[in-house]
Amino acid sequence: MFVYEKKLQYPVQIKNPNPKLAKFIISQYGGPDGELGASMRYLSQRFSMPYPELAGILTDIGVEELGHLEMVGTIIYQLTRNMTPEQVKAAGLEPYFVDHTAGVYPQFASGTPWTAATMAVKGDVITDLTEDMGAEQKARTTYDNILRLSDDPDVNDVIKFLREREVVHFQRFGEALRIATEKMDQKNFYAVNPAFDR
Amino acid sequence: MEDCTYKQGKLPTCAPLAMGYTPMQQSSEPAYEDKMALARGTLFPGLDLPFMNMVNTPENLSTPLCELMALDFVVQELKLYLDTHPKDKEAFAALQTCIRLSREGRKRYVERYGAITIDDMRCAESFTWIDQPWPWQWKED
Repeated sequence: MFVYEKKLQYPVQIKNPNPKLAKFIISQYGGPDGELGASMRYLSQRFSMPYPELAGILTDIGVEELGHLEMVGTIIYQLTRNMTPEQVKAAGLEPYFVDHTAGVYPQFASGTPWTAATMAVKGDVITDLTEDMGAEQKARTTYDNILRLSDDPDVNDVIKFLREREVVHFQRFGEALRIATEKMDQKNFYAVNPAFDR
Repeated sequence: MEDCTYKQGKLPTCAPLAMGYTPMQQSSEPAYEDKMALARGTLFPGLDLPFMNMVNTPENLSTPLCELMALDFVVQELKLYLDTHPKDKEAFAALQTCIRLSREGRKRYVERYGAITIDDMRCAESFTWIDQPWPWQWKED
């Protein structure tokens, strides 16, 4: 069960609307390494995890990612609010605008709608945690790239926060993998899959 | 082996092949104070690894809501740390202290500014849950 808190994890206060930035930041909402995929990946993987530490870290990071999804959605909303059709055209946002007006829709920067094909639930402890570490690095790189492209200090303030969370989550998934392997057969980690072979 | 600094962690001296190893964080100390933690995106200086030295400072995080966000952020950071260090007594004590501070701060905030969860409606005179702006509806004063 989830209880909604009527506050963000970190403040998002963008003074100047700028649909050009929204065009690529949308990728961290519903793109291949975005926050929607992150929360779905972790909150789905946790069901088959055999050790309490792993179910715990996937639940707690997965829920945090839902908070990040809300923050990125807030960035898109504030960057596109009160925009005129002229501003839509000047930003080259016409294809998105025609389909979604100023609504927030989970899609890649390139326009592909969010797809579960960008995340994996393999049902194997080592595989899933290794995927999660890769996923955090991919999200971190995406935020690095956004910082290279965005010159709005109000946006970058939030992006820096979200980027650092990826670094922390990478560390925690790495520790979770250490904990998992310590419980496994030290002569052959691949002898069985503890998420299936109980 | 020499002791690790707070920016380092321990690895096994001989480890089975074909596995990735992340050094375990050794301690929940040193830790930033709560607003600094929120500004930097982590409670732990050892994990604070910015891109091109672009960092936030806590000066803009002085509103009552930011104070609450900062306390809740420390709770989140300690919770994730404890998920992979469940036997760390110091970190657990710090978590409990911070949960208490957050509860007190939340009570004061809700009394002045309005509900954060539906639970805050229990003493309200009418259904004000939808009256205050939603978190994305920030406007410059």
